[in-house]
Amino acid sequence: MQRLRNAPPLYFLGVIVLLFFIGLPTVVSSFQSSEWTQVLIFAIVIMGLNILVGYSGQISLGHGALMAVGAYTSAILIHRYHVDYLLTIPIAGLLTGLVGFVLGIPALRLSALYLALATFALAVVAPSLIKRPVQLTGGVQGILLTPPDPPQFAKDGFAAVTGGLGMTSDQWMYYVSLVLALSLFWLAWNIVRHRPGRAMRAIRDREVAAAASGINVAAYKTMAFGISAFYAGIGGALYGLSIGFVSPDTFPLALSFQLLVGAVIGGLASITGPLVGGIFTFWLPIVSSQFVASQPWIPAGIAAAFKNAGPQVSYGALLIVIMIFAPNGVVGLVTVGYARLQARLRGAGDRGSGQMPSDPQTV
Amino acid sequence: MQEFIQQVVSGIASGGIFASLALALVLIYNAMGLVNFAQGEMAMFATFIAYTLISHGVNYFIAFPLTLGLAFIGGVLIERAVIRPVERAPVLTLVIVTLGLATLINGAAGFLFGYTPNYFSSPFSAHTVNILGAFASYQDLSVIAVSGIVLVAIYLLLQRTTLGLTLRAAAHHPEASRLLGVRVSWMLALGWGLASAVGAVSGIMVAPILLLEPNMMQTIIIYAFAAAVLGGIDSPLGAVVGGLIVGVTVNLVGAYVVGGDLELAVALAIIIGVLVIKPNGLFGRAAARNV
Amino acid sequence: MTALLELEEVRCGYGPTSVLHGVSLSVPDGGIVSLLGANGAGKTTTLRAITGGVPWTGEIRFAGHSLRHKPTEDIVRGGIAHVPEGRGILTELTVDENLRLGEHTRKDRAAVRKDYDRVFEYFPVLRERRKLSASTLSGGEQQMLAVGRALLMKPRLMLLDEPSLGLAPIVVRSIFEIIRNINEADHVAVLLVEQNARLALEISTQAYVLEVGRIAVHGASADLKGDDSVRRSYLGY
Repeated sequence: MQRLRNAPPLYFLGVIVLLFFIGLPTVVSSFQSSEWTQVLIFAIVIMGLNILVGYSGQISLGHGALMAVGAYTSAILIHRYHVDYLLTIPIAGLLTGLVGFVLGIPALRLSALYLALATFALAVVAPSLIKRPVQLTGGVQGILLTPPDPPQFAKDGFAAVTGGLGMTSDQWMYYVSLVLALSLFWLAWNIVRHRPGRAMRAIRDREVAAAASGINVAAYKTMAFGISAFYAGIGGALYGLSIGFVSPDTFPLALSFQLLVGAVIGGLASITGPLVGGIFTFWLPIVSSQFVASQPWIPAGIAAAFKNAGPQVSYGALLIVIMIFAPNGVVGLVTVGYARLQARLRGAGDRGSGQMPSDPQTV
Repeated sequence: MQEFIQQVVSGIASGGIFASLALALVLIYNAMGLVNFAQGEMAMFATFIAYTLISHGVNYFIAFPLTLGLAFIGGVLIERAVIRPVERAPVLTLVIVTLGLATLINGAAGFLFGYTPNYFSSPFSAHTVNILGAFASYQDLSVIAVSGIVLVAIYLLLQRTTLGLTLRAAAHHPEASRLLGVRVSWMLALGWGLASAVGAVSGIMVAPILLLEPNMMQTIIIYAFAAAVLGGIDSPLGAVVGGLIVGVTVNLVGAYVVGGDLELAVALAIIIGVLVIKPNGLFGRAAARNV
Repeated sequence: MTALLELEEVRCGYGPTSVLHGVSLSVPDGGIVSLLGANGAGKTTTLRAITGGVPWTGEIRFAGHSLRHKPTEDIVRGGIAHVPEGRGILTELTVDENLRLGEHTRKDRAAVRKDYDRVFEYFPVLRERRKLSASTLSGGEQQMLAVGRALLMKPRLMLLDEPSLGLAPIVVRSIFEIIRNINEADHVAVLLVEQNARLALEISTQAYVLEVGRIAVHGASADLKGDDSVRRSYLGY
């Protein structure tokens, strides 16, 4: 009982969030479930991207292209070789992870800016590379996938909880994605908590010092690339399955950019960040034009112009403003705000040490 | 053989376009160690302004320099409003800001000018003239000429004028320049203005060839990256040489080896190849920045 | 008569560390003042404060005007030439370009041409190496370039940070001679930071000794030179 009382409020929040996600499809429409599936998929990819960018300090503007690798791997295996769709997911992940690992080798030589440039070019060129081997990839038209039918036990369970409702393919894919998201979250948390995470953070902060203290910088950095690609591959496979097709234009540069933005806005080098990032990545482009229009302090003429100009203008403008005022992202803001609140509650005496109080429950 | 020469001349013309945009990238990189991912979109927007002027009856040869002037002002304003607040931020933030800027400009262009492709007529006819037994169009030749003039003008500005001197000083040695009375912050803004104007040239040159629409520059920027990386990201001369090499290579490889649809992949191969083998490119210096 | 440069109770530091704890000094118009002290005493910081390189509290006045909140480039354009630690040579540019930066804000072009002649008279090697990259100069030559460039700024006050550092004695002597010439011929005041106290006391009329961010001793250079205890405790010889 003592431990429960001493657990940080974040644990309780986490349980509530978990229950929310488990119960979601039972209360919203099938279409809305599929929207939240996309949020989960983005969260998975951003988790991986976070390991690369937040923990090992390497920028990637090409994770959309890596998602494409995963998506096409899965689609080709299903379409041409009739592999069971669930099996294609880990295969896609591993293959993409391998691709990422291989990409990570030349990436070692590049500074942050050059890496951004190279991955940017990769993301722009990827669609044309995909279109070329028409026999394999279906060229411009891509590959159509039939939505997977939920297995019987899932249908029964769903009907039991909802009082007789049938389970759609969308809802089933939602749960598949949720299970994967949770497992991959647990995996990421363990990686970050133990030696690999510490090593990567050391590399990110002072690479020269890390190398001097015996850390194998090259191994960890390429490993980070591989792991983040693994996540992107799984996300890509899920993405193709949940929307029912893959095509070269499903994974444009804009997607890679949105993923990176999601990671940054969610908060790099944080564990909850990817979820926030996933939410942002999915909703921000959709909501941004309405957001500007709804702010009362913006003059009506400007708000209307923004709304008509479409999501891109609002998205771009909002991004710039966020980067100027909150470069550490939402989780960063929350963490800073929480720390300041704690410091005030604790009293001026602790200000000198500048540390978080060890037991947040004590006031 | 004739076709080969045609491809080469055409490649040189493309090279002029890539070199102009690459030069804009190099100017900003020199000024602040940043690759401006929005350079292509800024050029596209400037081209739309030129198109609007011409559609309203302004003579091409007046609209062209007028647009460059407006692009210059635009570049200065963007630097003051958007870049200055994040001048000292880490690379990742700057990358996102410039990409956000690109998104914003692209959307604004779509909103203001529409997404339907427009024919941008060049005053130089597509008629061909006979050179060494091959046919080169006046258009290609004009692109080569205009790019050449702009590049020479920039060279003269940077190397032979006091303004160019202070720009270079501020870019390479900001702290020491301040002690000599150079207004470094304003030099940064001017650098952006200059880069914006130079980039606009590339947009106006390419518009008659592709069609003018908001996504027009999205492939050109990749070629420009390849040119800048090949030439050395901090070398203006490198941007020019790199542009020419990329233009000709992409054209030839696309025509004779891999097919037109993979020309962009050739550019990607150049980028990755250079970064892996010799990251400084042909003329670039080491990335360390001086005070 | 007010001094050309006045510092009153100047405090400054880098982040949480405070380096100057209330420094007051003044430089008379046309005078040469040396600022001495051990490494880490705060001499460079004092010069940096004057030209706006670090934030400070207290008061700094030049020709009667406060320098508070003025950006470096404006302070410098107001008539102060600062040759920093390390000389501040723009190594990406040529010798000539470095010199041109010295005079690029001046409007009196005829006088500028005459000043170029004088600079080349003082430092003939600069004329020889004019078109070469400044990075090809030796330490002593870079110091000459820095001083020549400062002269071209036509300042009223020159701040020199350790001009003797790393130079052969014979080169140091000649540079100090030229500094004395400039001071006398052009009525340029000099605030000289030096570790080589003996040389500094020879050339200057007044001296301040900084110790751990505070002025420990102040007086006429002649007096300090002659005072054995001061020399031994503070000046190391």
